[in-house]
Amino acid sequence: MQGSPTVAPTENPIGRILVAAMAIGFLALLVAAGAAGYVVRQTNRHSDWVVHTYRVEGVLIEVRRLAEQQETARRGYMLAGGPAFLASFERAHAELLPQVAELRRLTADNPRQTAPMAVIEQRLADLDKAQRQTNALVQQGRGADALRQFRADSGLQRMQKLRDVFDAMAREERRLLALRDAEQATSRQTFSAVMAIAALLFLAVVVVTFLTIRRYTRDLHRSRTALAVLNATLEDQVKERTADLALANEEIQRFAYIVSHDLRSPLVNVMGFTAELSAATGPLAALIDRAEAEAPHIVTEEARLAAREDLPEAIGFIRTSTAKMDRLINAILKLSREGRRVLAPEMIALDQLVDQIADSIRHVIDDRGVTLHIARPMPVVVSDRIALEQILSNLIENATKSRHPDRAAEVHVSATETPGRVIVAVRDNGRGIDPRDHQRIFDLFRRSGQQDQPGEGIGLAHVRALAYRLGGTISVESRLGEGATFFLSLPPTLSIEGA
Amino acid sequence: MNDHRSVGIVMIEDDEGHARLIEKNIRRAGILNDIRHFTDGTPALDYLFNSPDGPAKSGPAMVLLDLNLPDMSGTDILARIKEEGSPLRRAPVVVLTTTDDKIEIQRCYDLGCNVYITKPVNYENFAQAIRQLGLFLSVIQVPEVEA
Repeated sequence: MQGSPTVAPTENPIGRILVAAMAIGFLALLVAAGAAGYVVRQTNRHSDWVVHTYRVEGVLIEVRRLAEQQETARRGYMLAGGPAFLASFERAHAELLPQVAELRRLTADNPRQTAPMAVIEQRLADLDKAQRQTNALVQQGRGADALRQFRADSGLQRMQKLRDVFDAMAREERRLLALRDAEQATSRQTFSAVMAIAALLFLAVVVVTFLTIRRYTRDLHRSRTALAVLNATLEDQVKERTADLALANEEIQRFAYIVSHDLRSPLVNVMGFTAELSAATGPLAALIDRAEAEAPHIVTEEARLAAREDLPEAIGFIRTSTAKMDRLINAILKLSREGRRVLAPEMIALDQLVDQIADSIRHVIDDRGVTLHIARPMPVVVSDRIALEQILSNLIENATKSRHPDRAAEVHVSATETPGRVIVAVRDNGRGIDPRDHQRIFDLFRRSGQQDQPGEGIGLAHVRALAYRLGGTISVESRLGEGATFFLSLPPTLSIEGA
Repeated sequence: MNDHRSVGIVMIEDDEGHARLIEKNIRRAGILNDIRHFTDGTPALDYLFNSPDGPAKSGPAMVLLDLNLPDMSGTDILARIKEEGSPLRRAPVVVLTTTDDKIEIQRCYDLGCNVYITKPVNYENFAQAIRQLGLFLSVIQVPEVEA
């Protein structure tokens, strides 16, 4: 009992911590996965760019080579004039055109390359024009003219400029590559940092989770130990309390006994001397009678009234009151004696017991015109037969008393078994009991509602005392005008230990 | 055979009213024996055992004993009367009390009481019981006290 309130509050924060740690862990995992995905994509793109750069470079070299070859073939043709040179020139030119187109395509995405590209195309076209002019001159046999034009045109410079442009383009590609390399390195670094943070986070989560679980486990272990200890001592505690209760009960019984006994003693006197007085009024009345007959003048009206009416009336009241007091005292005595009776548990089939009770109060039931319904089957209990019989007979008889003027009286008796308890219900459709009186009716000498039935208000007090002795409880559910149901809750097996 | 008049009745009863009612009804039964009434246990014991005109010293007696006394329990007096070596151990003791507790009744008989009577609350019954006791007293034999 002491352990439960301390366990309950710690359970919630632990759950929350665990959920939070798991959420953070998953988040870290998600971030790490995202970062990895990003980096992989970045790397893929980078390698694409590297390939692209190399291809551009390759094509650039090829274009340059072919341009050089074309120029070389032209020069050879100018110097030697063989048709083989012309064929080589044309071959180089034919190969050059697609390569230039390829180069344009590859560099189209880069605005910084479009201008040199245009320059190259322009120069190549110009060069091609100049070359073809010298070639045509050589073909016509005007080699010297061609050579002169070559010199004037400064073919060397033209070629040199083309080379510079090629170099610039190659440099630009190299620059881009370097830029992309740097980018790649940065993203790799970011990735490493993200991974490191995720790893740290993960480690933290693991540590927190581990610590939390360890704490929780320790708490659990501690509460389990406490529970085990509690469990082990429970039996002793119950025994102790039962003994205390038995002692207190005994004390009350003794008190009730002494009180009732000591009350009885003066009552004997009151009744005794009242009887003496009553006996004394006989001769007195006779005397008055004789006096009236023999000497009427000595009899006063007061004396006659005193002897014939006042005295008998007073004595009558004293007698009825003492008789009632005697019944009350006897009731207390009976209760206290009931508390001291040794219980003898035995197997009792409740339906048979109820039948037996119904038979024994059959005349009362029939006189009052009550229909008694017994719900079968009923469980079997191990209890004290006499006590149980008194309880049920009191409850059933009470139920038959509280008839509602507007309807036929019915009494239902049923019994149900729940784990650890047998509950007998006695239900009537009578006048009902005001909820304010639900506790009061079980007190000695207290009654509820219209007092049109004889009784001292002992029955239910007796029933409750008996129910307690059987380890049971008694309760009532009722509303005014709607009948009442009394519930007797009993242990299925009466344990007489400590009772 | 003893003369009934010579058997003294010692009544130990703390309630004056009860004592009066008992005496009245015994007298109504025609018993004229001497009745000595004590409301407390101590003077009663003193009279029973030590008084020169008490039962232990001079002549047979019977005891009417109430169990609820202010200074001691009636059962103590009963035990004193009936204990081994007591000169009064054969004297008849009638326990006349309001208690009808079974254990108490058993205990009194165990201690050697001769008759146990519960005072009926109903006076008619009470008076009748006492008168019958009176009739009983008029016929029983009481042994001589051993000197």
